[in-house]
Amino acid sequence: MALNFQDMIAALQAYWAERDCVVVQPYHTEVGAGTFTPDTFLRCLGPAPWRTVYVQPSIRPSDGRYGENPYRFQQYYQLQVILKPAPEDILDQYFGSLEAVGIDTRRHDVRLVEDDWEGPTLGAWGLGWEVWVDGMEVTQFTYFQQLGGMDVEVVSGEITYGLERLAMFLQGTRTAFDLEWAPGMTWGDVYKENERQWSIYNFEDAPVDILMRRFQEHESECAHLLARKLPLPAHDQVLKASHTFNLLDARGAISVTERASYIGRVRDLARRVAEEYLETVV
Amino acid sequence: MRLLFEIGCEELPARAVYEAEAQLPGLAERELGRPPSQVYVGPRRLAIVVDGLEEQTGDEWIKGPPVALREQAAAGFAKRHGVAVEALEERDGFLGVLSRGQALSEVLPAQLDEILRGLRFGKTMRWDESGLRFPRPMRWTCARLDGAAVGEHGTTTWGHRFTHGEVELPSANAYVDVLRRADVEPDAAERERLIREGLDGLGEWRDPLGKLREVIHLVEKPLVIDGTFDERFLALPERVVETAMQSHQRYFPLGRNRFAIVANGGEPDVVRAGNEQVLEGRLDDATFTFERDLQAGIEELAARLGSIVYFAGAGTFADKAERLRKLVDRLGGGDASLEAARLAKADQAAELVREFPELEGSIGAEYARLAGFPEAVCAAIAEQYLPDSAGGSLPATEPGRVLAAADKLDTLIVSFSLGHKPTGSRDPFGLRRAAIGLCRLATEGGLTIPRELMPDDVDEFVEERFEGLLDVPVEFVRAARAAAVRDLGSVARLAQALAALPDERLEPIHTAYIRASRLGEQADAAPKLDPTLLAEPAEQEVANALEEVEPELTGALETADFDAAVEAGAKLGPALHRLFEEVLVMDEDPKVRANRLRLLLDVRETLRALGDLGQIPR
Repeated sequence: MALNFQDMIAALQAYWAERDCVVVQPYHTEVGAGTFTPDTFLRCLGPAPWRTVYVQPSIRPSDGRYGENPYRFQQYYQLQVILKPAPEDILDQYFGSLEAVGIDTRRHDVRLVEDDWEGPTLGAWGLGWEVWVDGMEVTQFTYFQQLGGMDVEVVSGEITYGLERLAMFLQGTRTAFDLEWAPGMTWGDVYKENERQWSIYNFEDAPVDILMRRFQEHESECAHLLARKLPLPAHDQVLKASHTFNLLDARGAISVTERASYIGRVRDLARRVAEEYLETVV
Repeated sequence: MRLLFEIGCEELPARAVYEAEAQLPGLAERELGRPPSQVYVGPRRLAIVVDGLEEQTGDEWIKGPPVALREQAAAGFAKRHGVAVEALEERDGFLGVLSRGQALSEVLPAQLDEILRGLRFGKTMRWDESGLRFPRPMRWTCARLDGAAVGEHGTTTWGHRFTHGEVELPSANAYVDVLRRADVEPDAAERERLIREGLDGLGEWRDPLGKLREVIHLVEKPLVIDGTFDERFLALPERVVETAMQSHQRYFPLGRNRFAIVANGGEPDVVRAGNEQVLEGRLDDATFTFERDLQAGIEELAARLGSIVYFAGAGTFADKAERLRKLVDRLGGGDASLEAARLAKADQAAELVREFPELEGSIGAEYARLAGFPEAVCAAIAEQYLPDSAGGSLPATEPGRVLAAADKLDTLIVSFSLGHKPTGSRDPFGLRRAAIGLCRLATEGGLTIPRELMPDDVDEFVEERFEGLLDVPVEFVRAARAAAVRDLGSVARLAQALAALPDERLEPIHTAYIRASRLGEQADAAPKLDPTLLAEPAEQEVANALEEVEPELTGALETADFDAAVEAGAKLGPALHRLFEEVLVMDEDPKVRANRLRLLLDVRETLRALGDLGQIPR
């Protein structure tokens, strides 16, 4: 019997906790991916070792489809694992986690397919793979090379599980809506209405003028916090600016040319936060 | 002796595997003095087998200064080679050192290290504190010289990632057998053979996006199995289904609702079931996206182009569509191509193209078809990006050719105006391909593409492509490019006509052209020919011939009969030949001289219509 959604998450967290990962809780500000939170972006700077596992909702306003398309959502879940420095047996540890949720790697076709990651708003990139199990992409695996526009001092391994995809594979469901979240409760029960309402907000109602103003406010607040040598709250303003940009994008309020300039502005903030963090914290 | 050297890695991208495969033979030869007899490459290992290595490297005589210069040079030479002056030997009047050969086992570790560090890749990474760079983390090295270990290198390799662990390699000879027993086929050619054999066994397979090259290096133990998907997805356009199969999943279409998977092991039924589920999910998603696009319809998609930037600095796709319409009009395109130009870029607003960029053009055509547009319009939309490679096929329809030419012209004009001219091997916007496409549309496609549509720098860049495309010496292309012909195809045909003229007939007009150019620059020619000053019969003959040839040549050019134009020009040959034989151009009488110079310059002006004959070396 396949694990339900919540048991699968618990099993993965337990697996990594046993391997000396700190189980932190989801970060409180909207992010497009677990990579953005301070537990990855900032902790992977500098020389200090760090191992963590956490669930993070991935909020991507443009990806919503009003709950009508069973493959696209404006919110889904990632399980983020950071191993810093990346140990030599990192892949074997990762494959062990698949076994821990019930995937027999000898019966299935598990493959690492080249996928280089780039996060332009974070000035970050790394090399790695998407991991396929019988053709289903269940994980994104990255060795960070640059963060905040700077070469990393110590290479971290980032393992990002797409939890819905992994669960769909385990439970053999065709859509995320049909996943069993807990006994008697599906993913759709929990989130379908959420998708509908947020899609309306993201695409139709988010107030463009106010968002434009907010973006600038986050930008200047970030600068202020950096001047006060408070990189952690400053980083939160980067995340808020980034999410505001994503909302404006979903509203179709940003042309492609402006896009590049918005991304450049967020990247500039992220770089300054990274520099300040190295100065103040590390 | 036989050497086996293996570099073990985490899964390498196929591109990196090909890069290594190309370099290993040269590196091995450089370091070991012998090329490898086998190169084995794949996702987790890069290996070479080198045969015929000597146990001992040979002695080497290092020649130093002549004996006569012992006083001045011996000490320095001895120091450079780390020996005492007294140890220098004498041979044939020179001092020198005999460097003794070393045991292979002593020098080999350093040589293997050089091979490993000598590999160059387009994209590399760091993964630990060693600071080493490689396309993916290197996890082991394994070497055997016959049955012996080599320095610090390991003597174990690793089998299939999930069915076998670390395995002992007893000798270099055993490499392939040991790996095959551990579920790894190390030989890429053999893997390819196995994959092709497996695919052939499943039926007619296709690889429209060319994924096989990559798939060979995505597996170590190819398992080829077939799968099926629900027939309801056959309602999607075939291109969409095939792209969903190939673009992410690297499946091979087997026709209808069947597809082939190349896996890296696992239980066939389990792997099949999982992949079928994944593909159906992708097709389901594609169906949603396709239906949303259809719901919007091609007109609505076209209307959205105003908010999609085509190119920073070059406006939106709506602007591009407007420019395409104008260009199509200038190219003499009819209603079908004008309508196609209006809708050509509509699919840039389609969600399906955002998902699968390789569907651009073909999916726009499909949406136009479903909206009831005439087939000529739809075909032109589908064909607008052709030819998509230097030798690729041209659009089959006339509206398609016109639209394809307009698209390439616009891309070139816009890119050049923004300063994105290709330099060296860098051509990120594919402008060389666009220019070659344009040339071929003019020649093979028979399209009249006026040169005046292009600014000078674009025109020059495009016409330079003819130098490689046409089967004539480049000088004839350069000559023809200077001609006053109005369209691209004419440049090509004129170059061919000039090149076809036999040497003995080209010679006199070529000489006249060159001499007129040279003399005309040195001396003052009369502003206008004075027939009364033409004293010699030979010059009179040239003047007469010129009067006859001039309209004939111009007329031939106007009707684009380039053979006739070149023929007409060549008619001046005999008269010119006689002129040069019998008449001294630089006559003592300045008036006569000025008049003769004018005659030559008139000849040159007339011949100039055929291009700059001075480009042709004689």
